[in-house]
Amino acid sequence: MVPKIQFEDKAHIFLFVSGLSVIFITIGIIETLLGESVEFFQEVAVSRGWFGFDIEFKGLVSQYGMASGVFLLCYASMVLVRKTPHLSTKIPQAMVLLSPKAVFALYFVAFTLFIYFDNVLLGISMFCLIFTWKFIADVSFDDDFVQQKIGLQKTLFALGIASFSLAITTNYSGALGEFFFQSQWTPTGSCADRRSLCDNMSFGINSLLFTTIQVAFGALLIAVPIGVGCAIFLSEYAQPRLVAVVKPTLEILAGIPSVVYGFFAFIYIGPIVVEFGEYAFTQGWIDEPPNILNPINGAIVVGIMILPLIASMSEDALRAVPNELREGSLALGATKIETTVFVMIQAALSGIIASIILALSRAVGETMAVTLAVGTVAVFTTNMFLPAQTMTAYIAQKVSGDLSYGDIGYLTIFAAGLYLFIITLSLNLLGNKILTNFREEY
Amino acid sequence: MKEIDKLPVRNRKGREFIEKVGSGGLALTSIIGLVFLLILVYQIAKPTIIDGEEGEIVAATEFLPISDYILKWDNPSVDEDGNLISEPIILQLAWDDENGSYEHEIEITVIPQRNVKENIQLNENGVDTNEVTVGKKTKFYIYSTLSTPVSVHQISGPTPAANETGYPQVNTFVIQSDVSTVFSNGISIEEAIAVMSWSFLMVMILVYVFPNEKIIQSISSTSKNHQIIRWLSLAPFLFFILNEITVIRFFIVLNCFIGLRMLANLSEGIFRLSNQMMPLNDKILLKHSIVNRDGLMLWARLFFLVSTFFIPLSVHIPFLTERYQDIFQPYSSGIRSAFYGTFWVMGIAMFMAIPISIGAAIYLEEYAKPTRLTKLIQALITNLAGVPSIVFGLFGLAIFVREGGFGLGFGPSIFAAGLTMGVMAMPIIVLAAQEALRSVPRSIRESAYGIGCTRWQVTKDHVLPSAMPGMMTGTILAMSRIVGEAAPLLVVGAFGAVLFDPEPFAALTDGNINFTVIPIQIYAWTAEPGHEWHAMAAAASIALIAVMISMNSIAIILREYYRRRLNS
Repeated sequence: MVPKIQFEDKAHIFLFVSGLSVIFITIGIIETLLGESVEFFQEVAVSRGWFGFDIEFKGLVSQYGMASGVFLLCYASMVLVRKTPHLSTKIPQAMVLLSPKAVFALYFVAFTLFIYFDNVLLGISMFCLIFTWKFIADVSFDDDFVQQKIGLQKTLFALGIASFSLAITTNYSGALGEFFFQSQWTPTGSCADRRSLCDNMSFGINSLLFTTIQVAFGALLIAVPIGVGCAIFLSEYAQPRLVAVVKPTLEILAGIPSVVYGFFAFIYIGPIVVEFGEYAFTQGWIDEPPNILNPINGAIVVGIMILPLIASMSEDALRAVPNELREGSLALGATKIETTVFVMIQAALSGIIASIILALSRAVGETMAVTLAVGTVAVFTTNMFLPAQTMTAYIAQKVSGDLSYGDIGYLTIFAAGLYLFIITLSLNLLGNKILTNFREEY
Repeated sequence: MKEIDKLPVRNRKGREFIEKVGSGGLALTSIIGLVFLLILVYQIAKPTIIDGEEGEIVAATEFLPISDYILKWDNPSVDEDGNLISEPIILQLAWDDENGSYEHEIEITVIPQRNVKENIQLNENGVDTNEVTVGKKTKFYIYSTLSTPVSVHQISGPTPAANETGYPQVNTFVIQSDVSTVFSNGISIEEAIAVMSWSFLMVMILVYVFPNEKIIQSISSTSKNHQIIRWLSLAPFLFFILNEITVIRFFIVLNCFIGLRMLANLSEGIFRLSNQMMPLNDKILLKHSIVNRDGLMLWARLFFLVSTFFIPLSVHIPFLTERYQDIFQPYSSGIRSAFYGTFWVMGIAMFMAIPISIGAAIYLEEYAKPTRLTKLIQALITNLAGVPSIVFGLFGLAIFVREGGFGLGFGPSIFAAGLTMGVMAMPIIVLAAQEALRSVPRSIRESAYGIGCTRWQVTKDHVLPSAMPGMMTGTILAMSRIVGEAAPLLVVGAFGAVLFDPEPFAALTDGNINFTVIPIQIYAWTAEPGHEWHAMAAAASIALIAVMISMNSIAIILREYYRRRLNS
């Protein structure tokens, strides 16, 4: 159904067409990426089929199997406690009430597993174990509590099933399975003809994707505390004269081109990170000596890049909170820091989270700084001191070499680009939705 | 037990401690942000200052394949196993002086150890050594304090061989000295001092003509020492005792002398005024209190005018005026062709993007009814602004660069790059222009409709003029944002090493389509192995940031101009 538009004058037609050009551009981008990606998948599928997977029960002894065991254990114990609440009272109180030190130690273990990305499922399962434990403890003191937390129970079940299926299906094959589930990225294998497809090539995007996630989340780890802290300081604490200095500074930081940040990382941050890496290597914490190009380097520099975005957007959100809330809290006797943490941040939370999500999208799509800082080795390693490659860096490296239109190397950059586009577009949609829909109106 | 009794009792000390720690931590985080910026600026500036002063010469006259040549030059007399080759290397240095022409031979011995190097010093008396020992894989430098170029020929020793791909075999390589800026004591750069003295005089003239209150206040705190400054103004003449007189040195000394004399008279006048408890902000009073103001101004203006033609125009900065030379001449390479490339790419991008995106903004704000189509366009614009730049590069590669399929087949040219950048700039400009149109008050539109204007008349004659400053600012800010983008141009196919100025419409006229831009040049130079190239990349970064800041200030000036014109 085409909406009927009555043109008032000649200018209206031109303006309407220029408005439509936005749609043309979007369709052009999607069509380009999709068309070349489909060609890529088709070409791979001709030699390997579209999709397939093998079931192996050996995977149950791996970390996936262990994680699925923990998830299902949590689920089973939750169900048991919900069905028969009296059971929990029979457990001795010393076991139910974990000491704070033990809880802290468990959090530490889970966080360590989380940082070493290989064991992410195990890390999440450890967190879930702690939550379940807390749930059982709550139930044993308060029977009414049983009615809640059904959502967590369903999530545990889904996670358990998902990690179980991950554990038993270790080998995905076919074009789609290889691209989305394998993690060996060798688009130029040792074939007789480098340009065409052969069996030695492998197109598992996960090695690039995991490095991208490493860099992006590492950047958030740096930028969120500093950026949100900076925003709170500027809107709540700082004198107007200081704001007049810091605000332009942030704008200058935001205006510096990404290739300059890449130069900065390559020259200055890299050697510092290598010094830490050498220390870790002599202590035996990592297996191989560090390289000057590594994901930590990239994470630091991308963190600096997205810092101004988070700071300025969060500050806008905090300034949008009406003054009555602040004054009301202060009048009730709260100190300034209590007002900030319990009132202002709560009120501006949607804006802050939106800024973090948009910054994450920016970090995922960042190209030049990452290309110069992270390296060009498309192998995913948990040792973050070794060179790796992100999705954007792969595209940048591939196009700066010799590239002939239509061969398999040319098609891979569009497949990686489409994946990148989908990730960033969904993050942007999410961030903009949070910004518009979840904003609290005062 | 009431609810309120369950609340924990808070002690005052704890709360105060948390208050202090919390606000201190917040202050610390913002200080860390500032420190990041300071380190960044320092690091960008540092390598340029340190290495730019030395005249390091590692150069050849022809553009050669890089990797082979460096290998041979780095271990010229060591074979692959590290054994010495018997034949020694002899370099012949030749230069022409006022007193005649000189030739000098230097024998170079290469030993297997690393990091052993002796540098060669050249001055009017000749070369300081006849034999030089250099370690394996170590570059050594020839420092020249002569004003004339020195040519260096290799007359014996192993020569760089050709490889299988058939690059030319090189028998001689010439090391051109373009460095004449180092003093005989080797400490400072003459031209930098000249420019500094010139700008000092300019500042003093500006202070005399437009006495700024803040500057006057800051001078008044040290105005007791005007007698010392008066004596200090004679100090530049010591320069003539240490060095012989040239034109530039003459102007340096006299500029410094007159500038310091002006400073001394100014501070004397301020001192006299403040002793008599007179107000400093009265400009006429200040004018009359300066001794011999008109005479000093006359001489200052005269010397400023003449030295403007001698000093800034005589300073040769190869970085700005030269193109990329080759891999061996970092300090004589420049960003001229990259700058032209940036200029043309931005020009084409603006030419394409501005009419369409301002038209789209006007349509969305003035004409469109809130239909489903309008909402879709609005959502697409908001989300396109957040799409990674490299995806736009892929779009440009498939649509503009490639031939066949949907491609228009412009090749990796400036035209394709400009169109790609224009597409990238569109959503940003549309958002900025919409913001500007939205800020036009409703009363302007309604009063125009009230006297019977059509919609297009209202837009053209009333809404657009008052939205113009905001639109222009937004447009230029968007452009300054995409000046620094390298990723889409890398995908479209910009080269790092372009040896000529680009032709903007080569894609349509079958010319040479290769081009480069400043960000790509920074990327290519950063990826080079040598530290000299990193210094060049730092200098190019500063040039890029300078371009962006100047664009931003143009935006601010335009906004102010239009605002003033609208208000009057």
